[in-house]
Amino acid sequence: METLRPREWHLKAPLSQGDNGKLRPGDIVYLTGPTYTARDGAYRRMLVEGHEPPVDLRGLTNVTMQSSPAGVEVAPGVYHVSSLQATAGFRYAQYMPALLERFGVKAVISKAGMTDEVRQRVFRHHGAVSLSTVGYGLGAIYGRAIERVLGVYWVEELGISEAIWVLQVKELGPLLVEGDAEGNGFFAQANEEINERLAQVYQGLKPPVFRRIGEEQGPKREPF
Amino acid sequence: MAVSAGVISQELVYRVAYEANKRAAIAVPKDGLAAFEKAFARETKPLARFVLGQVLENAKLAVADERPMCGDTGLPRYYVKVGNTARLEGGFVALERSLRQAVADVTHDIQLRANRVHPLTRRNPGNNVGVFAPNVDYSFEPDADWLDITAVHKGGLFGTDYRMLFPADGVDGIKRFLLDTLAEFGRRGLSCPPVVIGVGLGGTKDQCMRLSKEAACLRVTGDRHPDPEVRALEDELVELANRTGFGVMGVGGDTTALDAHIEIAYTHTGGVPVAVSQFCTAYRRATARVSAGGEVEFRDDPVWFTPYYRREGIG
Repeated sequence: METLRPREWHLKAPLSQGDNGKLRPGDIVYLTGPTYTARDGAYRRMLVEGHEPPVDLRGLTNVTMQSSPAGVEVAPGVYHVSSLQATAGFRYAQYMPALLERFGVKAVISKAGMTDEVRQRVFRHHGAVSLSTVGYGLGAIYGRAIERVLGVYWVEELGISEAIWVLQVKELGPLLVEGDAEGNGFFAQANEEINERLAQVYQGLKPPVFRRIGEEQGPKREPF
Repeated sequence: MAVSAGVISQELVYRVAYEANKRAAIAVPKDGLAAFEKAFARETKPLARFVLGQVLENAKLAVADERPMCGDTGLPRYYVKVGNTARLEGGFVALERSLRQAVADVTHDIQLRANRVHPLTRRNPGNNVGVFAPNVDYSFEPDADWLDITAVHKGGLFGTDYRMLFPADGVDGIKRFLLDTLAEFGRRGLSCPPVVIGVGLGGTKDQCMRLSKEAACLRVTGDRHPDPEVRALEDELVELANRTGFGVMGVGGDTTALDAHIEIAYTHTGGVPVAVSQFCTAYRRATARVSAGGEVEFRDDPVWFTPYYRREGIG
């Protein structure tokens, strides 16, 4: 059987409005340029505790990745990344308004994208897109795309896995367009189709005799 | 340092543990690759097929480059099976020191992500070693003088759940709980499907959880439980999981589960504890046997669930 490839874009960071405008859910993107990682620790430090970022993130790029690279300090102050993957994006919903507003972010690379609500309310407002790593275990493919580690910040404050890694990447991909700049989402569509099948699969299975608190949550809803 | 004949040296335990962790981080075991190739071949949805193709490509590149196959290098842990007459230089305390040292060194040398942090302060020692980390689980084998070391690098956030069911729930209850777990974690592929499902059935609650993890991580794909009723349910659960249509990374596809393995333990007459674990696309495991003479042999199948380990009677 022929492998039918999705629509594919090769883009440079920082992304332009035109770049974001042409992306649609289900497209595949390969990205070249600077990007930086931030997750729980860095978000809390910058967006809740109000510390200035350790480097001019806004001036550097408008693409960020919710990731903790598999990398180490190979010599004092010299870092190398072997493997790369993003982490689940829905957990960071609360940080997205401030991140997009204050740092001019136009693309967030996560695992599995953003909640529908955040995509509609925040990303659409800023014309930003939500990209997802693919697979999800494509660490070697993404690791290969790292040309250079430009800097690692807040290692002492946050520990190496929560630090901000500034990376120069070349053809980082495939990344799935999970949410486009108009608020359309890939998984919203995929989940509708899956829900139809789920209803059939559950059919005829009797409910448990002892319910758990909160059991009214049905299997058709996302748990976040 | 020379050790007496028939005694397994600390240094050898360290080297084997180091190599097992390195292999686990980088190379998908053969049974996993075969299962992914089968899933790719049978996939009918174009996007799922594209993604599965990338998963196979990634497995090749990881080995070619000697780099971890997933950026989340998981929580390194060990399953150690000790022959009843095996002799270890320095005993179990030395063994555990070697196992912990190997994780710290591989974390640095292979560039694993330093995932293990203090649960409250979030302090990160930077080497995946800390309080109760890495996990070391043991089992024993009669009439043997060897030591088996299995390293497993499993993700740690999504895919596992536990529930106390009751006899009146029957097999329906087990199926429904599996579906609940898949629906909870399969959306958007948070559990990184396609997965190998491990089900712990019975025992005490903690045994049930432990068995589900071992069932997911320590049996090769295609393996079936010796108990005919259990193996029939394994087949049914694979079929059921794949009917959900989550597919690879939840994009919608034909293969959500590569396989399902169930382990049972005798349980309280009033209950049916059940736990589900999912071993994800980053299917990472390596096993080696160290003989009493010091020979080392790596193999694909951990052979963790021996007839002795699953014994029913007193002996």
